[in-house]
Amino acid sequence: MSKIWTRMGDGSAVEMTPDELRADIIAASEDAADKGRVPPLEDNEVEKLIEIFSAPWRVIGVEPGHEVPLTKDETACTLVSSQLSSGAHLPISREAAVEIFERVFCFDTMELGWIDYSFKPAKAMVSLDQVSIERLLATTVFPVLYGAMPNMGLYYTPDGPFTNPADLLGMMKIDEARQEEMKAAELCMEDMIYMCKRFDEIGADGIDFDTTASAGDADFWATLKTVEELKKTTDLGIEVGMSGEFILGMHGEIEYNGKKLAGMFPHQQLKVVEEAGADIFGPVVNTKTNKSAAWNVARAVTFVKEVCKQATIPIHANVGMGVGGTPMFETPPVDALSRASVAMVEIAKVDGL
Amino acid sequence: MAHEDLIKEAQESVLSQDKAKAIDVANRALAAGMSPQEIMNEGFIVGIRQLGDKFDEGEVFLPELMLSAEAMEAAMEICNAALPEGESQSRGTVVIGTVEGDVHDIGKAIVVSYMRASGFEVHDLGRDCPTDKFVDTAKEVNANVVGASALLTATLRKQREIVEALKEAGIRDQVKFVVGGAVCTQGWADEIGADAYAKDAGDGIRKIEALLGL
Repeated sequence: MSKIWTRMGDGSAVEMTPDELRADIIAASEDAADKGRVPPLEDNEVEKLIEIFSAPWRVIGVEPGHEVPLTKDETACTLVSSQLSSGAHLPISREAAVEIFERVFCFDTMELGWIDYSFKPAKAMVSLDQVSIERLLATTVFPVLYGAMPNMGLYYTPDGPFTNPADLLGMMKIDEARQEEMKAAELCMEDMIYMCKRFDEIGADGIDFDTTASAGDADFWATLKTVEELKKTTDLGIEVGMSGEFILGMHGEIEYNGKKLAGMFPHQQLKVVEEAGADIFGPVVNTKTNKSAAWNVARAVTFVKEVCKQATIPIHANVGMGVGGTPMFETPPVDALSRASVAMVEIAKVDGL
Repeated sequence: MAHEDLIKEAQESVLSQDKAKAIDVANRALAAGMSPQEIMNEGFIVGIRQLGDKFDEGEVFLPELMLSAEAMEAAMEICNAALPEGESQSRGTVVIGTVEGDVHDIGKAIVVSYMRASGFEVHDLGRDCPTDKFVDTAKEVNANVVGASALLTATLRKQREIVEALKEAGIRDQVKFVVGGAVCTQGWADEIGADAYAKDAGDGIRKIEALLGL
């Protein structure tokens, strides 16, 4: 029986028989269906995935007319960050890097952000970034967003003023841990609102909240409340990109509009993000490195398909290093990345990537 | 009260994170003539495994896991006290930390809670932990397992350093070395000679139990 050349979730090459490929895809879809309580992929969708992974070409694409717009997180760090941050460390300005994304890579939108890509450290640079955004709005055609991560973990010791709840939980100080989380959430929210309003002043087209909920349910709550405030008081377009398929219950009891945030899967995260008023939602499904790329893509597409089905706002699935079915590898292999992207468009029916 | 009822109560005390109930059940079970091993293995440990399943399914979260660990530890203290000298029921001693240069610790905190809840003696070295500290602590507490978490590609190499340091200290064969973290993979674990790769807390516990023959 002929074998199909493909990848594992860690990027390593592997060969699989058609039967193994099919079994992986079905098992992954059932795993997502079971965990997220969403429908598994239908037979024709399984066949489409098999077709995608059986294609002999390195790079594949969508059918003509099915092209989707791209948004991007992590700003232009791909070009200007050091290798340790998965960048090319080119000696160019961030503004030039953003212009390259428009004129050379043909991106549909782009974001500017600080190299230390979280709201807390970037706050010190907000006036500098205002100038850069203003300059880019004059020299580019595409929408220019400002991007940063809420990264609420930076508000805990040793980086911030509040006691680390992980330490307090270890001492069985549950109530104290929860109090510190809420204090950190309030301050994080204050900083994010302050910064985003500065970019609204300068005319930025929007804000991208990247890796939302990385510090758990309180991080997610802070972002949702920030979005709510910004939609009431600014004209900013808002994209909320997640950090994981599952909201970690560090607090465990935080609610938003009566819904407990801990334990939410992508289709549930979508609903509260819509309620907060965001304009685009970027679901994340995390890659399992010891499973095949086909397994990971099937699982990711099963989750995201349900998100797209229930969405009233555009869905831009996160597809990149370690998410959206893409291998966990600093420079994701183009064969795996193109397959994950095509699957998201053709099967999950995303509005963008 | 029948032993089966006490076993069920023990399971429920952990599932409901009720420390007072766990203590009460442990005492009543011993008074009813049950062996400490029986009430621990059939009752409390089964309960913590069921809680672990609920945690994996997203039905309970970290605070509940911690409270269950507290209930479990209280029950274990009573049961261990009833065992003959030298037959303590700690399931193993684990030294765990986030490697040097890395300050991510949420995942490690979950693993620590889960391991304590599962009856392991855990020495949490915290975050940004120098390689020497892993080795020195492992020797000091006579560890069965050393666990290292890394969440950055830049800090992943510290896990290899720890393996080498364990060899240099002459204790590599005495401990099981387990690695984890978002950027860690089975392939990396194989490359550096780790005994196991844990993809999440539940997987880590299962692999540690298998490595220790539990």
